[in-house]
Amino acid sequence: MQPIIRVADLWKYYGDDEQGEPALRGTNLEVAAGDIIALFGKSGSGKTTLLNIIAGLDRPTRGRIEIEGQDLEALGEQGRTELRRTRLGFVFQFFNLLPTLTAFENVFLSLELAGLPDPAAAGAALTSVGLAGKEGRYPHELSGGEQQRVAIARALVKRPSIILADEPTGNLDTHTGTHILDLLVDQCRLAQTTLIMVSHAMITCRYAQRILQMEDGIIMEDRPCEAPGP
Amino acid sequence: MKIVTKAFLRYLLRRRSLSVLQLLGIACGVAAVIGMGLSAQSALSSFSKAVEFLRGSSTHLIERPAGPIDEMVLAELIRDPSVDFFAPVVDRRVRLADSEAVRVLGIDPFLDRVVRPEISSAYFAERGRSARDEPFSFFTDERSVMVDSNLAAQLKLQPGSRLETSQGVFNVTGTFPNPSGEPLILMDILNAQKIFDLKGSVDRIDLIINDEAAFRSRWEKGFRIESKRQRQETLTALLYAFKLNLQALSLLALFVGTFLIYNTAMFTVVSRRRDAGVLRSLGARRYEVVAAFLTEIFFFGILGGALGAVFGHILSRFLTEIVGSTISTLYFFLKPSPQPWSLLTLAAGIALGCIASLLGCIAPLIELILTEPVKAIRGRVAYKGGRRKAGKIALTGTGILCAAAAFLLFSFYHVYVGYAGTFIFLLGVSLFTGLTVMFFTPLLKWLFSKIGGIQGKLAVANIRKNMGRTAVAIAAFMVALSMSIGLGSMIESFRHSLIWWMNSQLKGELYVSTRGDADVPEDFYEELKRVPGIGGIDTYRNVQVTYRGTPVYITAIDASILQRFTQFGWVSGGNENWEPVKQGSVIISESFSRRFNVKKGDAVAIEGIEETVRFPVTAIFYDYTTEHGLIMMDRSTYIRHFMDRTINSLGVFVDPKYPEREKVIAEVKRRAQGRNLPIATRSELHDTILSVFDNTFAVTRSMRVLAIIVAFFGIAGALMTLFVERRREFGIYRALGFSVRQIAGMTLFEGIGMGLVSFLMSTGVGTALAMILIKVINLRSFNWTIFYHFTLDPYLLAGITAIAASIGASIYPIWKVYRTYPQIQIREE
Repeated sequence: MQPIIRVADLWKYYGDDEQGEPALRGTNLEVAAGDIIALFGKSGSGKTTLLNIIAGLDRPTRGRIEIEGQDLEALGEQGRTELRRTRLGFVFQFFNLLPTLTAFENVFLSLELAGLPDPAAAGAALTSVGLAGKEGRYPHELSGGEQQRVAIARALVKRPSIILADEPTGNLDTHTGTHILDLLVDQCRLAQTTLIMVSHAMITCRYAQRILQMEDGIIMEDRPCEAPGP
Repeated sequence: MKIVTKAFLRYLLRRRSLSVLQLLGIACGVAAVIGMGLSAQSALSSFSKAVEFLRGSSTHLIERPAGPIDEMVLAELIRDPSVDFFAPVVDRRVRLADSEAVRVLGIDPFLDRVVRPEISSAYFAERGRSARDEPFSFFTDERSVMVDSNLAAQLKLQPGSRLETSQGVFNVTGTFPNPSGEPLILMDILNAQKIFDLKGSVDRIDLIINDEAAFRSRWEKGFRIESKRQRQETLTALLYAFKLNLQALSLLALFVGTFLIYNTAMFTVVSRRRDAGVLRSLGARRYEVVAAFLTEIFFFGILGGALGAVFGHILSRFLTEIVGSTISTLYFFLKPSPQPWSLLTLAAGIALGCIASLLGCIAPLIELILTEPVKAIRGRVAYKGGRRKAGKIALTGTGILCAAAAFLLFSFYHVYVGYAGTFIFLLGVSLFTGLTVMFFTPLLKWLFSKIGGIQGKLAVANIRKNMGRTAVAIAAFMVALSMSIGLGSMIESFRHSLIWWMNSQLKGELYVSTRGDADVPEDFYEELKRVPGIGGIDTYRNVQVTYRGTPVYITAIDASILQRFTQFGWVSGGNENWEPVKQGSVIISESFSRRFNVKKGDAVAIEGIEETVRFPVTAIFYDYTTEHGLIMMDRSTYIRHFMDRTINSLGVFVDPKYPEREKVIAEVKRRAQGRNLPIATRSELHDTILSVFDNTFAVTRSMRVLAIIVAFFGIAGALMTLFVERRREFGIYRALGFSVRQIAGMTLFEGIGMGLVSFLMSTGVGTALAMILIKVINLRSFNWTIFYHFTLDPYLLAGITAIAASIGASIYPIWKVYRTYPQIQIREE
């Protein structure tokens, strides 16, 4: 079966030239559709860089990425934008909700961009993450956990095939973090959405089918759950 | 994307203080431009209206090349087949009790019926009303006048009132409507001739002629004939340099205004960088993000522009008065009425607000849409690339400065090229702001850490690391301060040049009748000459003539007296230059020489009363009386060629060897007062000239203040934006042990730091600007040399303004700090 994500010999240097230490140094990865993956690694190992490049938010210095068989670079800016609109969802560590939109509007925005402006779907997505009755609240009126729930609803509402979550519990307490992971993974399993979670939290292991470890810009072979990075 | 637009617009409400500051910033920028533009427009349109009203339906006028015209000419004009109608006019000025000068028009109401029906019909209507009482008082009472209704309302005059003037008391017999806005007093021409001592003469004759060519062929010799269009052109030419000056000030306002709006628009984009990143990560297309930004920017542009149009309209009422007073002092009487409110003003304000906003956001928007979403999502970033980036920008600045130098070098083509060079220069130096901030960072760090400890040190680091935000605000403020220094230094240099000129040319002990509203009888001149102890008396006669189709002035003086008692500022040579003048040669002012490219040894051809006379030019002298050019000749030469014996004023020189100097002065004063002639001592005359000079620059000074206000909003906006963006950072400082007071102190130091860097830059840029204004713009606009004179005042004023404005601009953010940070706040917004 064709992998939903294929990463081949990916290099990333920050800065104008290929000087200094690369953030990614020829990393490779294949992800099957519906996989739930936890990506561990020390700070600065290149996890977030990899996620950003897969999402088309950043561009690699060298290498190839295919999403559902399409070469990201060949898609061009417009194609990558289209991909993010319809096929990819992103959950950030710091939630990144638009502060001047209510919870409902933040979720609805995602539908509007995907060309599916269905208010009922936005409402249902918020209900599914346990925020029924809080649709009209602004981000600053919600707790950190609630804000991350809105972010998850925003990512899932357009029914993407892939969700990329960059330390989704990194800014939350353990209890809330567990709830968020429960929610995120359940929703992805329900919708058969591929999920890649970058994390430092050991607990993430419990939810993942595959555990990947990143060291110095390279994905090491899959490791058992007992040996995640710090 | 409606929802995104909604999200962006909600920021305006959420960050109300910043929105208000940004709106006020744009409004002030627009107001400066609209205010200046409207007042210039008011002055020029009032001028056209006044000329139109006073000339009525006449097609031409006839006058002597210099001085009054003998009324015997009227008998010949009656017989001329080309003349349909004619109306003789005495056109003089009197001063009212409050020393305001008002035009007095002596007319013949019967002859004026066709030429100026509006005025004469008012007379006949008034006569109808007062028929029962005194039907012919306008003719029979030598002091009878009619006053225009605006002036009457202003002075609370009505028929029967008495009006005190420099020519005695007038009896008001009626009022008449005057749409021109210029205060006007009408009297019968015969009475005017008596009052102004013009027996048998009039100032000009307005004509309606049917065959111009034929008429000109008969009246060419000894007369000047001007068509209505030529007259308008002549008067417009008189205003040319002044108009240029107003245009330059409007452009100046536009420049600072645009800078500020640029600043505001740029803040909008850079402070919303993270949102743009989030939107892109959600799949928003670049143009959708741009559209959302543009909605917000245009919202600001429209609202700020509309507000600016209203402010500008109000400002124009104030500026119009100043502009009118300056034109009246320097050229001819004009009382412009402010332009009425119009939707066009509103449209202009909105267009200006939108265009400048658009210009302001283009660069950061382009930068933003070219940035990968992941970088944008990081939001506020420290100024990266440091010295290298600042160096690159400065390199671009160097290129722009080279272009500015080229423009300034080629300013001899047109003064507009000089203006363009000046603005390009300001733009070029603005690009050195980043480098300057980096240059002064160690010094400021040392200074502020000495004064304010850690918060002072951090404030400097914040200015440096947020250069993306701070540099534009510093540049805008620097430009405003530079303009203040540049204009201030130019004015001070001009003032000193004027004082030097007065001390070299106006050396008489006493001056009789210098205000231009009363001529000196020739017999009084003869009488004064006989007073014991008088060393000499210079007669002064100044008339406007036409040279090469443009207005210039001839001044008739007594060359022997000036040679003896004064030391003119000669471009070359010394007082020996007077010798040929006594024989019939002339000297010309520097402005005349530059304007017409006439050199020493050339000849100037002027239409005399009998023929065209070629006057050899013997020398060129520095002069600041008129930018149009001055030809100075001996009184005997003038009388010989123009048959005009009028004396406008006298300069009295006491014999230096005479022992009782004070007695002589007292005697001259007594005799002048006996003739009701105004008299002034040398220092009084000098003071009057300096006060006229100071009034002349009132508009310029207003623009300096405006520029500072505009820049104040620039700094305030920058500080407020930094504050809004760094709320979380402030929370971290609190967590690290900073007190609220220390955070407030840091904000204050940031404001002062920005002000200080702006000021330090402006000292150099302002001096350079002063040199450009003096050596290029003034020389090209007015054709006279101003000698640069260093004075500390403009620099002190700029320094105080910089510190005061930056402290003022910090107050609101500091208040917000105290209001927002009683507790620790690290949470994301």
